[in-house]
Amino acid sequence: MEQFLQAGIIGISLGAQYALLALGFTLIFGILGVVNFSHGGFYMLGGYVAYACVDRLGVPYPVAVLAAVGTTAALGWVFELLLIERLVDDHLATLMLTLGLYLVMSTAMLEVFGPLAMDFRFPITGALRFGPVYAPLENLVVLGICLTAIMGLWLVLFRTDIGRALRALADDRAVAMAQGLRPKLLFPAAFALATGLAGLTGALVTPILSLSPGVADPVLATSFLTVILGGLGSLGGAALAAFIVGIVEAYSSVYFGGSIGALILFVLVLLLLVFRPTGLLGREVRGA
Amino acid sequence: MSGSLLPRARLLGGAEIAAILVFAACFAVPMMTKSVLVFSVLNQALVGVVAAQSVWIMLRMNLMSFASPAFMAIGGYTVAIAGQYEITNVFLLTAAAFILPALVAIPLGALVLRLRGTYFVLVTFVLSQIMQLLLFETPGLTGGSNGISGIPPVNVLGTDMATNRQVVLFACGIALLATVITACLTRYFKQHFAAIEENEILAESLGLVVWRYKALGFVVAAGIAGLAGFSLVTMLLTAHPSSFDSGTAVDFIAYTIIGGRASILGPVVGTALMVYATNLFGTHGQYAQGLYGVLILVVVLALRGGIVGTVETLVRKLRGAS
Amino acid sequence: MKLQYSALALAAALGLSTAAQAQNCELKIGAMGPMSGGAAQWGLAMAGATELAAAEVNSAGGIKMGGKTCKVVVVPYDSKYTADAAAAGSNAFAAQDIKLIVGPVGSPEATGIKPVAARNEQLAWNAAYAKNALEPKFPLMFHIAPGPAVWSDTVIKAAMKVFPMKTVALIAPNDQGGTDIASVDAEAYKANGVTTTEEYYQRGTTNFAPIVTRILAAKPDVVDTASSPPGDAGVIIKQLRLAGFTGAIGRLGGPGTDEIVRVAGGLDVVQNFYWFETVATDEPKVKEIDALYKKMLGKDPVGGTALWADLPAARMTLKAVAAAGTDDAKAVAEALRKLPVEDPNMGKGYWTGKKQFGIAQELHFPFGVGIIKDGKNLGVARQEAKPD
Repeated sequence: MEQFLQAGIIGISLGAQYALLALGFTLIFGILGVVNFSHGGFYMLGGYVAYACVDRLGVPYPVAVLAAVGTTAALGWVFELLLIERLVDDHLATLMLTLGLYLVMSTAMLEVFGPLAMDFRFPITGALRFGPVYAPLENLVVLGICLTAIMGLWLVLFRTDIGRALRALADDRAVAMAQGLRPKLLFPAAFALATGLAGLTGALVTPILSLSPGVADPVLATSFLTVILGGLGSLGGAALAAFIVGIVEAYSSVYFGGSIGALILFVLVLLLLVFRPTGLLGREVRGA
Repeated sequence: MSGSLLPRARLLGGAEIAAILVFAACFAVPMMTKSVLVFSVLNQALVGVVAAQSVWIMLRMNLMSFASPAFMAIGGYTVAIAGQYEITNVFLLTAAAFILPALVAIPLGALVLRLRGTYFVLVTFVLSQIMQLLLFETPGLTGGSNGISGIPPVNVLGTDMATNRQVVLFACGIALLATVITACLTRYFKQHFAAIEENEILAESLGLVVWRYKALGFVVAAGIAGLAGFSLVTMLLTAHPSSFDSGTAVDFIAYTIIGGRASILGPVVGTALMVYATNLFGTHGQYAQGLYGVLILVVVLALRGGIVGTVETLVRKLRGAS
Repeated sequence: MKLQYSALALAAALGLSTAAQAQNCELKIGAMGPMSGGAAQWGLAMAGATELAAAEVNSAGGIKMGGKTCKVVVVPYDSKYTADAAAAGSNAFAAQDIKLIVGPVGSPEATGIKPVAARNEQLAWNAAYAKNALEPKFPLMFHIAPGPAVWSDTVIKAAMKVFPMKTVALIAPNDQGGTDIASVDAEAYKANGVTTTEEYYQRGTTNFAPIVTRILAAKPDVVDTASSPPGDAGVIIKQLRLAGFTGAIGRLGGPGTDEIVRVAGGLDVVQNFYWFETVATDEPKVKEIDALYKKMLGKDPVGGTALWADLPAARMTLKAVAAAGTDDAKAVAEALRKLPVEDPNMGKGYWTGKKQFGIAQELHFPFGVGIIKDGKNLGVARQEAKPD
């Protein structure tokens, strides 16, 4: 029983992290139609920026997290405006651009910070204990921030003009533009929002786990898996799928072991694709 | 261009013939030099080019596949396992290395090809990760994390391909075969692939049975990747999971994009240059990834045709000027 | 880096020109290992150790080969921790007529280089803990240091004196680098009357909380991180402590204690820890190597204790070249097998490997067992090598 509860706690905290990542990933796809291969790179970059601020500049950790969000969002904005923007209608070209950017980013991090894991710690440690079951404080903090960020994102998208504009662009770009929406401003904004979320997740999660140039690849793979499951471009689907992936990962790893757990997730996703090729909450995918 | 009004007018175009001639010429290299370094770099390039052609076939239809390492693994492990039963006949092994991955690709294709382009990318990425897990989880068949070592050399008409030179000659043969298959396929269905690349929905509404050509391309691309796996395993004498890591898919895609995706010479030129450049980095292997990244950005932003496309345009301009 | 190496070789040569009057030829030897990526440290250590051994020989006037006195030149190669790159490295060395290779490091690399080096008739060393690190059918392959089959029993016995244990849970990645070691460790624990469970995770796992929960369900006295990469082992320890695990944590696997403690969050978090060290790192004689390196090569060594462990292999290779009077791989291998296992810094050791691999081509020097108790580092105790 305690194992069951413990797995549930782990699953939810994993799910919250995955949700932040998958929301950004699916946001970029939904609005711009871009598959962002550099998403894991922005997670890694967020971690390194926060680390550099704390370790090299002596800034307090919460400020460092904000700096990481700002840096990754700014870089996302610039990258979209200067590079993606020119080719935004060509899916394959934008995919390759983000892949190229990712390769450059990871080489740069390797060059600057070296291959070894950094000494980067979360300022809060300890755990809440309920008998044999525990919830690490740092995970609770991250969970809180994740849920707040998800709520904030929801508010932005559904309660503000910019959000309405973004969703209109995602629904039908041609119609939205005909009605006077300006993608020149909105596209970079959406991209920056998404990369900022990835940077936030990186800044929050890497000090809890570890920070090395290798952390980006698994993040990318998990984001892929989550959005395939949730339905590419669907925000609700991404959030739902993120918690499913987190909980399945936690329970299968606890009850069947680490490598079988990964295989179960993959098989689950493949099976879903047989029966629902558009994912849980996905619509017919835009023509590619 | 010729053939645009008359589909299938000519079986092979200039680029295809040039690509085939390149690999025919490769047979001469081992006769001209004894340098093990030349053999080694050439051999790596000959393996890479076959894998890049597998990627290129799918790119003809605007589909980017990350699944090539998975099919390479099927081809490579087929040969390694056959070797344990002392099956070394080159014709038997070549057929098996092509056909088995192609057979596996049929049900997978039925599943994956229902998906539009972007989804396809993500799912093929996941497929190559599943293959890694399957290799680890089946130690009885694939040797698990240890892989299979001590594979006997391939036997070509009574001769064992045991020396570096012979292995390079064998790799030339596989590359030539893969190029001929790729050239025939993409040339024969040139119009169909082009129609799918241009606008799949339009092609479908005009009566083209799109899934049929996509499935055919996927299956042949899987077979070609299997041949690359065969060539790789023969070069290393070992089938090891790390050789089929999902990350290597990025390399093959980079070769193809940088070389140019419009012509079959693209993957050939791209692979040759990138393998050569990677070897130049020596102890600084990590920079190769950065170089790929920069070159991909440059090609996508500035030189849309890749190296081959850019050279073609230049030549055309020069001709026009003169 | 290449520039640096050649510049150093040049500096060494210039500084010692009086001693090196007779140098009229070059002996090139290869140094191979991962010099980029997460395991870069180990490959750089291999190159550093070979550089140091070469500098020692060069400062003593060079090496005599067939009537000539030759200067030793080290050529490094990045084998990227993959089978493919190691095989390509063997070929790249063959192209430069290099017949002796110090390295590679990891199991995939060792698997990759074996058949190709045999085809190229090269002598190579590897530092992998794989179950097939040596094979009788590859007589030119040597082993830098023994795997867990040789030392795990000693480490367990030393650890049990400090941390009594009845049950151990081993955790390692699900690939060759993990399974080949954890399964051998488990046998050794069982031989000491300890019940074991083995747990393997997918390489690339970043959050170990579910696996930690799984391990702790069995309530083990000790968790052993075997050969998990140091970064992973650090996270595992951090999450074990968070989950309320208070028992000792072992590491019968690779080096990297410093990085583990750093990632885990310091000695206070780690609390109770024991680990295997390839060499007796607290011995003054062993520590001298760093100063020696600085003196001979004019820069700080990289690679930490791994460099110390690799050094004897590089030194003995050059000794064997001198004894054979040639760099022909077969002749050097023959001479090497006859050399007594001795090193100025490590002390006396043995050729082992006959029992485990059927071929006695493994260097076995005194090694160390490190203990951290109640958050205090008690240091690394020297353990004598034993013959097979």
